[in-house]
Amino acid sequence: MQNTSSTEQIEQDVLAAMSRPSRCYLACIFLAGLVFLGGMALWSRQIALGMGVAGISHPVGWGVYITDFVFWVGIAHSGTLISAVLYIFRARFRTSFNRAAEAMTIFALMVAGLFPLIHLGRVWLAYFLFPYPNQRQLWVNFRSPLVWDVFAVSTYMLVSLVFFFVGLVPDLAIVARRRPGFIGKIYRLASLGWVGNSQQWRHYTKLYFFLAAFATPLVASVHSIVSWDFAVSIVPGWHTTIFAPYFVAGAILSGTAMVITLVIPMRRLLRLETYIPISHIESIAKILLLTSLIVGFAYVVEQGLAFYSGNLYEMEQFRFRALGDYRLLFWIMVSCNAILPLTLFVGRLRRNLAYLFILSLLVNVGMWLERFVIVVTSLARDFDPYAWGNYTPSFTEIGITAGSFGLFFLLFLLFIKILPVLSITELKER
Amino acid sequence: MDRRQFLQMLGLVSGAAALSSCGSEKGQKELVSLLVPAEDGIVPGTESWQPSTCCECPAHCGLLTRIRENRPVKLEGNPQHPVNRGGLCLRGQASLWRLYHPQRLQTPLKRQADGRLQAITWAQALTEITEALQLSRQQGRKNTWLAGRTSGTLSTLIEEFCDSLDIERLAEFEPFSHAALRQSYGLLLDQADLPRYRVEQADLLITVGADLLETFISPVDYTAQASTLAADQKRHWMHLEPHYSLTGANADDRLVLTPGSEGTLLLWLLQSLTSQSRYRSRWPQALQDLLPSTNLAATANATGLKPQQLQELVSRLMQAKKPLLIVGGIATGHRNGQPVALLGALLQWLIALPWAGLDFSAAENYSRVGSLRDLKDLNQQLAEDRIGVLFVSRCNPVRHSPTELGLKAALAKATLRVGLADLADDTTDQMDLILPLAHGLETWGDTEPRRGVIGLLQPLATPRQQALSEGDLLLKLLKQATGKSPAADWEAYLQQTWQKRFSRAQLGQLMKDGYLIEPQPQPSIRLNQARAAKALRNLQLQAPLAQPTAVIAPSIRSFDGRSRSLELLSEIPDPLTTISYGSWMAVSQQTADRLRLRDGNELQIKTADWQSSQPVRIQPGLATEILTLPMDSLPAPVTGIDPLTGEALRYVEGLQLKPTGKLHRLPILAGSPSQHGRGLIPKPVQRKKKGDQQHHGPRASFYPEPEYENYRWTMAIDLQRCVGCSACVASCYIENNVPVVGASDHLAGREMSWLRIEPFYDEHGQVDFLPMLCQHCSYAPCEAVCPVYAAYHNPEGLNVQVYNRCVGTRYCSNNCPYKVRRFNWWQHKRTAPLDQLRNPDVPVRSKGMMEKCTFCLQRIRIAKDRAKDDKRLVQDGEVTTACAQSCPTGAIVFGNLLDKESQIYRLTHSQRAYRVLAELGTEPSVHYLRPE
Amino acid sequence: MPKWLPHSLLYAYFGGFILLIAALAWFRPVTHQDNSQPIAFPHTVHAGQLGLACNFCHESVTQGPQAGMPTVDKCVSCHQAIATERPEIQKLLSYHEKGEPIRWRRIHQVPDFIYFTHKRHVRSGLDCSACHGAIEEMKEVRRVRSLQMGWCLSCHRSRGASFDCATCHK
Repeated sequence: MQNTSSTEQIEQDVLAAMSRPSRCYLACIFLAGLVFLGGMALWSRQIALGMGVAGISHPVGWGVYITDFVFWVGIAHSGTLISAVLYIFRARFRTSFNRAAEAMTIFALMVAGLFPLIHLGRVWLAYFLFPYPNQRQLWVNFRSPLVWDVFAVSTYMLVSLVFFFVGLVPDLAIVARRRPGFIGKIYRLASLGWVGNSQQWRHYTKLYFFLAAFATPLVASVHSIVSWDFAVSIVPGWHTTIFAPYFVAGAILSGTAMVITLVIPMRRLLRLETYIPISHIESIAKILLLTSLIVGFAYVVEQGLAFYSGNLYEMEQFRFRALGDYRLLFWIMVSCNAILPLTLFVGRLRRNLAYLFILSLLVNVGMWLERFVIVVTSLARDFDPYAWGNYTPSFTEIGITAGSFGLFFLLFLLFIKILPVLSITELKER
Repeated sequence: MDRRQFLQMLGLVSGAAALSSCGSEKGQKELVSLLVPAEDGIVPGTESWQPSTCCECPAHCGLLTRIRENRPVKLEGNPQHPVNRGGLCLRGQASLWRLYHPQRLQTPLKRQADGRLQAITWAQALTEITEALQLSRQQGRKNTWLAGRTSGTLSTLIEEFCDSLDIERLAEFEPFSHAALRQSYGLLLDQADLPRYRVEQADLLITVGADLLETFISPVDYTAQASTLAADQKRHWMHLEPHYSLTGANADDRLVLTPGSEGTLLLWLLQSLTSQSRYRSRWPQALQDLLPSTNLAATANATGLKPQQLQELVSRLMQAKKPLLIVGGIATGHRNGQPVALLGALLQWLIALPWAGLDFSAAENYSRVGSLRDLKDLNQQLAEDRIGVLFVSRCNPVRHSPTELGLKAALAKATLRVGLADLADDTTDQMDLILPLAHGLETWGDTEPRRGVIGLLQPLATPRQQALSEGDLLLKLLKQATGKSPAADWEAYLQQTWQKRFSRAQLGQLMKDGYLIEPQPQPSIRLNQARAAKALRNLQLQAPLAQPTAVIAPSIRSFDGRSRSLELLSEIPDPLTTISYGSWMAVSQQTADRLRLRDGNELQIKTADWQSSQPVRIQPGLATEILTLPMDSLPAPVTGIDPLTGEALRYVEGLQLKPTGKLHRLPILAGSPSQHGRGLIPKPVQRKKKGDQQHHGPRASFYPEPEYENYRWTMAIDLQRCVGCSACVASCYIENNVPVVGASDHLAGREMSWLRIEPFYDEHGQVDFLPMLCQHCSYAPCEAVCPVYAAYHNPEGLNVQVYNRCVGTRYCSNNCPYKVRRFNWWQHKRTAPLDQLRNPDVPVRSKGMMEKCTFCLQRIRIAKDRAKDDKRLVQDGEVTTACAQSCPTGAIVFGNLLDKESQIYRLTHSQRAYRVLAELGTEPSVHYLRPE
Repeated sequence: MPKWLPHSLLYAYFGGFILLIAALAWFRPVTHQDNSQPIAFPHTVHAGQLGLACNFCHESVTQGPQAGMPTVDKCVSCHQAIATERPEIQKLLSYHEKGEPIRWRRIHQVPDFIYFTHKRHVRSGLDCSACHGAIEEMKEVRRVRSLQMGWCLSCHRSRGASFDCATCHK
């Protein structure tokens, strides 16, 4: 445990991260921004010319964009898991990452929210998707999973934002105290008049707990609803009840991997080693291992059930996945998601930060590929053999995907400089 | 002159139909006050139907043209016309594309010294021609006229023209001249004509090489008759050929012959039949001993057939009451061509003429058509500098002559070469002057495709720029050259001729119906025994062709290649291979395995003096040593001339095969040629066992059964009758403004066809065609998942796509198990004037929208409007979809299922009816009848 | 409260209004209907004073989808003798002499993907003014109804006509 004079130390250390940006940092911002703008330019071109610039076609009408959408929404979930679910379970180790994880959630949702627009054929009519009173006397089709997505993701975004902001309020007051001038005034405004008296603290704790409890079921429900985009259809390989838990587990898997990817370098570069001990990262790695086991189990169940069912279409679909034109991607996915994380049973590897970092990157690749494999292989080989066809992503799709990563990292980099990356108040409590 | 004045002059009608000036159109920003009242009975914004004749191939089927906003927007077969009886093939549908083709020749063109073409005026062109005619007469050269098959009054005018100007009218040039057949009939039966084969009356049809479904003489007519024959369990059709054609694919039995062995087969059949009592008495004694001897084993050996198959042929021929044998097509396109035609004619005389199976009174009008020997003569004369002015009208001899003839070079020796055409081709590329011809829908005229059937041509569109009808052109030229002409213009000439030839009543009928039948007397057919004897004595059957052999096959999509430039016909895939754009060569599975070839690998095939390299497509069921080369894949599809008959040689024998290692990306639209056991086309129904019928009980469902008030639109497709000709596909494209997207989109799988023909091969290489279109499912998977209700189910059973509501999420297409929904990946624009080929009743979709078959909702709407005027419901047969209308075999039937008297009700309750992927619970409105 | 705040707020408030007015002025041509026609044909005279029935000129309104425009011949049948000295009539007569059709600017239009038929509406008993307003009082015809989907739908619903999407969406 730290002694009291170290509360000052905590503040100093954490706020040191928000000091003047180094040249290296500016270079990263520039790069991320450039990639993001490149993606936006490609999207503008797609709007002008039509969806033909993407590689999607008949029968594979969904490709990289939907993969990206599910990928980014999935990443968002683990942030809420860490900040909300672990809070309710009173897991101590969460304080090291909860701010960064929450921020990751917000940014991932922002990026994810772009993709339903990007994949629309007529994005200028996107407002048709919202149930607002209109002269046409038309509502949206509430039976469609895409409309459920609209509600689910926007609810999730709203709740996450509120939760994030509420948690930030005491820290913002601290930052305001230490920052003079105009910037400080903005932080003061944002901290909503927080002074830290016991009454405020009581209200704060109650609200925080309430929001955590509110956000917890969203972790399970939102990605279940996103998975129903697929499960509710009749496409072989999509139409299966395992999807909801399978996707939620997968979301946590990719989310924890992304947390590890972000936190390990952040910890090193911002010199926050004392506040983010290796044991805490190890705990996250254990969550990763657990969810990887669930996902691995789901792979086995999927393949097994397909052949157990005797359904011609399911059998052919899963044979195609494992042995067809996309088999390389399939096996990379299985290795990265189900086999490699098994090495985390070894304690030494669990505590090796370099190994964890590389593994987390591979898991993210594997999880992206999982969504790709599910979306593309199912559509490529469905009911009518005449209609079978393959899909190759085009430059535009790859560029926009890269742009989404650019946006995410741009936002995260900005976050590092603008807001305290660790929850100062919670650290002090500890 | 317009139609009203024309008819008035004929003294037929007063104040009747006339073309009016431009009308107003929805979507324009202005409304126009016309000068005079519009065409009588034509309310602005409504359609009118006018009869005409299709000129896309020599069959000349009867048309009904739909006119909207003063433009032809759709062609349909005339239901009463004796040639096509309402059907229209895909080329006929696409002839509207020709009318609006962006590259149609618009002005007379003169070739300059540097080879480029310069637009000139008609006056200049005609002057130049007249001067050249005079000059060549002075030089002692011959002026000649070469044209494609011409009939009707135009032929009379050409005769007059050539007489007046001392021009030699050469034998007409048709790539499919059927010269061997006509030669045989002329020799043996004294009728050098192509009879009409009465397939509709035969109970056994044996075709040897003749591609009835693709290009043989009158394809729509024969397709309808042959498919009816095949569908009838009591009648049988056997097709014999060396390769794999669409005709063979649809016959009841397809027997694979060694190429060049047809003569041996026919001889053996003749032997076998004349030795049986039924035919022995008919066979003249004098000829009895002249038949060269042959035996079963030797025949089996030579033809590649099994002895049982040969014996089955004979026994069927013996049992049939009205057997019919048709020989032609590629069967006469090799060195044994003449014996094949002669023996075929003898067999037909023996077995078919007794029951009038050959109708020479309705013979196809090929009497002026020559053969390649005539072209060879012309070539000789050109080489000897004896030709002055050469006119080449409506034919492409440069493409269809063998390269060794050197026609291109020889042509240069004529003093003036004048081409008359509507689109540029290989021949016009060699012409000095090119004169633009108007389209069949832009001029007056008549045709006589077969004896006794006269078809009407009338102007339904304004001619392109300065294009003229051939008749007008000839009269102008006559006037220029001689100072006088038999009539003021072509219309006047027609009137003169018609008034002399037809009665008032007949003329009225011709104008109203678009055709006229003048029954011709039946000639009495007798076998010329002397010539038959001579032929048999000199009969020399050469050995079958050395294998591997390539068969140069005609194409249903382009006929002899003349329709190649119509992009719509490249957009629609070849039914057997599903390749759309580009060239290819079909090989057998065994050849592909042996040479380790996949689809798209390039293979070079060559002989000592000929070679071709094409990407390969594996054709299930094709004989091991045979390759099929579509005519369109070759720059020079004629490899030689048979000196005995003048037929084009359509085989290349003794090939060496060598993979070149190159890989082409072929636009193969089928993802797989096999059903993979999914029962999309289930096994035929065993008619004997009643209990076999799989009746699904009423499905248990949460949802209330939909209720239908007046109409429940349903479609039935008879897979036995569907031959895969794709006429329905072309009809749908034009009716619904479906975008034609081009090769690169096809390579990406983005073809936009709302209706497609899916060929499925079984393990024996037999193919069945499944026309797949939106099934309008009662429980449509697409409707549930569209977030904005762009796809919904209407109270009449249609699955409607509301284009303006679609935001383009493409979930509907993902969820459709039949994958019939097509997304607009780009903003498709047609180059002018093809943008005028537009059905105004169907909106043009923009990029980002999903589209699909609507069961021709626009036609349903028109029918309901008409019915509502009469305060009744739409009757059975009053409304039909574009695809059903165009089908030559009547395979598609559309109607209201709630009408218990309707044809659709009967068909959907047939024992053969089933639905595709019914186990998914989609409850489609499209029922299929399984093939038998 | 810092001194500059009230000032800047005031500036922002009023400045915003000025911007709004500027934007409206900028977009006015797009939203404002231009009703000018090649000949200043007054329905007030023909439909109003003379009491001509609408389908006297717009003949195909009960027979087809389009109401139809009167032919130049029809106008001239009266105006070859009536009011020939007026400049607008002289414009009309010159169209007739030159054999030129008159291209009127279209005021009422539904998009290309909508099927609208005058025939069914007029035959159902609707008066022309229900959709076109009091034309006989318009010197220059202008559109007085929105012609938007909801407007069509509410009338369909209240009159018991079909509101199935396929009725109007082609």
